[in-house]
Amino acid sequence: MTLKLRSVEIATGSNDRESRLVFDDGMLVAILVRLSGEHGSLADKWFLEVGFGPVKDIHAPLFDDLETAKAWIATRLTDIARRD
Amino acid sequence: MRGVRARPWDRRSDPIPRHAPVVSRAARPIDASQTDPDLPFSPPAPRIDMSNPFVRKLEGFGPLPDADRALLERIGANAHLIGQRVDLIREGDTPDGVILIMEGIACRQKHRANGARQITAYLVPGDACDLDVALLTQMDHTITTLSACRVVRLPLDFVKRLTDEHPAIARALRLSSLVDEATLREWLVNVGCRSAIERIAHLFCELLVRLQIVGFANADSYEFPITQLDLADTVGLSNVHVNRSLQELRREGVIELKGRTLKILNLQRLKSIAEFDAKYLHLGARAAA
Repeated sequence: MTLKLRSVEIATGSNDRESRLVFDDGMLVAILVRLSGEHGSLADKWFLEVGFGPVKDIHAPLFDDLETAKAWIATRLTDIARRD
Repeated sequence: MRGVRARPWDRRSDPIPRHAPVVSRAARPIDASQTDPDLPFSPPAPRIDMSNPFVRKLEGFGPLPDADRALLERIGANAHLIGQRVDLIREGDTPDGVILIMEGIACRQKHRANGARQITAYLVPGDACDLDVALLTQMDHTITTLSACRVVRLPLDFVKRLTDEHPAIARALRLSSLVDEATLREWLVNVGCRSAIERIAHLFCELLVRLQIVGFANADSYEFPITQLDLADTVGLSNVHVNRSLQELRREGVIELKGRTLKILNLQRLKSIAEFDAKYLHLGARAAA
């Protein structure tokens, strides 16, 4: 699986603007957002703003970097594929 | 092991916050009430420096005879200090008393196997856990302190006599249970039908009213010892969405959070965001307050 990222600006209604669309084989599976300074010690971590299908998880962890986020998303997608 | 776990009030040394007032404590101070409910408890050491939020809450539902009020005041005199994040009773435990919160905030919560948690109610001063808990063989949820609390545990037979022999108290307690149910319905609407900022605004409005009733909030502010993570698990949002909503309320000049104090700078706006209508709290004559 190769996850591809596309950089976009996102209107979250907060200062969190920097974002990545995450594609799996051309399909949008998640939107990651970099947390701004208004999150204090959590600033610069990556937040799963939206996950689609098996990636949806309100309790997803915050990620230190994009590689960690991609690995987590890939695991979610793989786990589901295996269960099917 | 079900039902035999030691309760916080069974321990000889509870974690006591450093800022808490020092009061005398016994291993099971509340069991003094297992004698006749109309007799003074032993030791009869009411804290005359603090009126009792349980009395204030119940009196709000209607006048209480002097004897009833005096009885309730004595109940509060034996409150036990319990630190924050202590389970007062856990899911699966056999209920062994009715828990009353005299100070601080506790919550009802449910845990999923994956560690996720939903807080389904806040218990503020004057609030009791289910009065009919004696009818249940085991708890279906956990009650935990969110901040340090002063807590009273009323033995089940004492509660039975309290309601059997004091009709005015029994009526107030039933009304109190109805308000608890109405509040739970409102919280269900909150997580089902309101946006992130609306959910938080609604909760802040509700707490202002509930804490004012028992004298723990002034016109526009109250102590808010709830962490952002607790708040997230209360309103069913991620920590990030809670923080964004709080920042937005601050930016718009609606609230101010300094330390553990929540100050509402624009109550009309907060109510309007939440579409808050206090009717479900059934304030009656107190509505003007």
